[in-house]
Amino acid sequence: MAGLTLNHLYKRYDNSGKKKKIKNDFAVQDLNLVCEQGEFVALLGPSGCGKTTTLRMIAGLEDITDGEIYIGERLVNKLQPKDRNIGLAFEDYAMYPPLNVYGNVAFNLRAKGVDKDEIDKKVREIAPLMQIDDLLEKMPVKLSGGQKQRVNIARAIIREPELLLMDEPLSHLDGKARQAMRTEIKRLINKIKCTTVYVTHDQLEAMSLADKIAIINFGVLQQFGTPTEVYDDPANEFVASFIGEPPMNILETTIIKKEDTFFFTFDNSNLQIAVPKRYYSVVKDGFRCKMGVRPMDVLIGGPDSQGTPEEIATFENLGDERRIGIHVGDVLMMLITEDEKRYKRGDIIKLEVRGEKTHLFDIETGDRIREKKE
Amino acid sequence: MARIQLENVRKAFGKVQALDGISIDVKDKEFFVLFGPAGAGKTTILNCIAGIAMPEEGLIKFDGEIKNLIDPAHRNVAMVFENYALYPQMTVYDNMASALRSKLYKTPEDEIRERIMWAAKTMKMENLLERLPSQLSNGQKQRVAMGRALVRTPNVFLMDEPLAHLDAKLRNSMRTELKEMQANLGSTCIYVTHDFMEAMALGDRIAIINEGKIVQIGTGDEIYYMPCNEFTAQLMGDPQINIFDARIGEVAGGFTATFPVNGEEITVSLPEDGRVYSTIKEKGLEHVDIGIRPQNVKYSFEAKEGYFKATVYSYESIGNKSVIVAECGDYQLRMIAPNGLSVAIDSDVYIRFELDRSIFFDSVTKEYIVRYDEQTFIDLAKSEEEK
Repeated sequence: MAGLTLNHLYKRYDNSGKKKKIKNDFAVQDLNLVCEQGEFVALLGPSGCGKTTTLRMIAGLEDITDGEIYIGERLVNKLQPKDRNIGLAFEDYAMYPPLNVYGNVAFNLRAKGVDKDEIDKKVREIAPLMQIDDLLEKMPVKLSGGQKQRVNIARAIIREPELLLMDEPLSHLDGKARQAMRTEIKRLINKIKCTTVYVTHDQLEAMSLADKIAIINFGVLQQFGTPTEVYDDPANEFVASFIGEPPMNILETTIIKKEDTFFFTFDNSNLQIAVPKRYYSVVKDGFRCKMGVRPMDVLIGGPDSQGTPEEIATFENLGDERRIGIHVGDVLMMLITEDEKRYKRGDIIKLEVRGEKTHLFDIETGDRIREKKE
Repeated sequence: MARIQLENVRKAFGKVQALDGISIDVKDKEFFVLFGPAGAGKTTILNCIAGIAMPEEGLIKFDGEIKNLIDPAHRNVAMVFENYALYPQMTVYDNMASALRSKLYKTPEDEIRERIMWAAKTMKMENLLERLPSQLSNGQKQRVAMGRALVRTPNVFLMDEPLAHLDAKLRNSMRTELKEMQANLGSTCIYVTHDFMEAMALGDRIAIINEGKIVQIGTGDEIYYMPCNEFTAQLMGDPQINIFDARIGEVAGGFTATFPVNGEEITVSLPEDGRVYSTIKEKGLEHVDIGIRPQNVKYSFEAKEGYFKATVYSYESIGNKSVIVAECGDYQLRMIAPNGLSVAIDSDVYIRFELDRSIFFDSVTKEYIVRYDEQTFIDLAKSEEEK
């Protein structure tokens, strides 16, 4: 069963104040998404891409220009936020400062007029789950960022919503606390098995938390898939460069044919990389496109390597790994190695690229160029 | 460019001893990193060098000359801050020229133009010169702030978390660029950061600062492989190094380590290593804290000879690879795994340590005792320093 369905969803903010109507001014454009029951879905994209707008439309805080939203089997377009049976946890904690943690968690149930004993039972049930049992008597000002966020989520899930919506809940926390809280959220959602939509601009957060990621840019869905799918099989150049750190190397290339073999060649560079056989059906001599390869799929060849000798432009020893940058034309191509050797700028290494791991993108549109399936 | 020395510098803010006897000796043309958690006193050190803060005790010397009583303007230092500090009403060009046009320097306009063009080229921002700060992205603003420091020929560049405001991606690419630029510049630079990757990548040497004191000074390799205590070991590396308490036992011809995992006592033999074995004998060690980095912890999802059982607490991607966190009772173990495994939370995981990569700390004082292959890492650190 679907937990949430978005059907041709559009959002246009009213520009009536402006004289000229902007042509393509949709904040969200033709968004289609199906989240299965119990699935954790991240909406990921740069700021201003429409991910929060989408979340607010699902919550009912924003009008829908066109399209349909179903929570479970119910069409909720016309329902008030309070009737949609959703839980909200936003970036700012928005707790009631005069109430202690218990009071904050119980607030929504009290407002609904739920029986006192029933409320108490529920709060006691949820508190250990969120690890806030020893905080119940504390006031919000006494809590750390991570604790506040746990209370915030407890408050959202105590009503047993059909759908949990979270908007950048970790962006207020610093590095270490953030990492720890990420782990906690993941374990929690795993326990309560509530369908969750999670907005973030941090690809790492999306990759580590979500069952599926919807990557959005300029209001348009770019790809919807599992973390592994979007990482290994990106739909276009935008997804390829947005997911992964350091980002995928993307270089403009001209493909040339020497005898029976195709090679990627690059302007102002000696580097040549054999084109994997699977692309032979889509390339020809002189074909221009972009080639993408992840930094961990660029290797340093051994002494007998057939790789192209290249000069190291940057060498960064990061302790756990080392990163090397090489100029290919005017692009700095990065590679990651766990090799213990300490190189320095100016050293020559033989560069090998895992041809089978390369992706091709259209030079104009950025779309993936895929090999033809037999 | 100059050699910068601090000798026993102390500075208090009210009751808080911000700097508690700081001594550093930054060589001419060195890239020196001050690294530590928030509130450690890193920025206060920079401010003392710049002359913005006055130490109560201790000396600040540029090329051997005492500068304590010289005012900031006459110390000729160039600062780059986290929050860019650009003049919003001036174009990039004028922002860069502002210091050179000041009463103090009164540089002729031709020369100003020449220097700005050079700095703009170095920072790859020739196309931005006519823009106003409001028309720049955060990365570009930081480039301008650095370019503005470059046009001068200061005694030292002081950089206070210049990349902290940028998002992760931009921070990494700017870090790489900064590294490339530094090689071309050949200038003394003191750089404050709380990001260990920046510290490792940029610093010729790193000083670890905590609570106003220097914890350790050394090359990146030295600090990473031979941290002077557990605090330093935990700062260097992401995910953090695993540290757990173990009991040392003696068996025929060798030693073992015993530690609890979910209530069960696990005993593993300690691989033979001359220096480790002799240290255990000489010091009569009975307890140690074993430090082992996540990449040296191996896992299996089936029971295997030499592996012990624990429970999966979490499995998450950290970009190019993933981390499995295993619950072991009083502590957790982090280990590196590839992306895309299907690992169920609370399922069993079997673990083995590559103990020949481990570091031993005193379980009471938390100080470094010895590590495996110590000589190799001493040599490595030495060769780094010679470079």
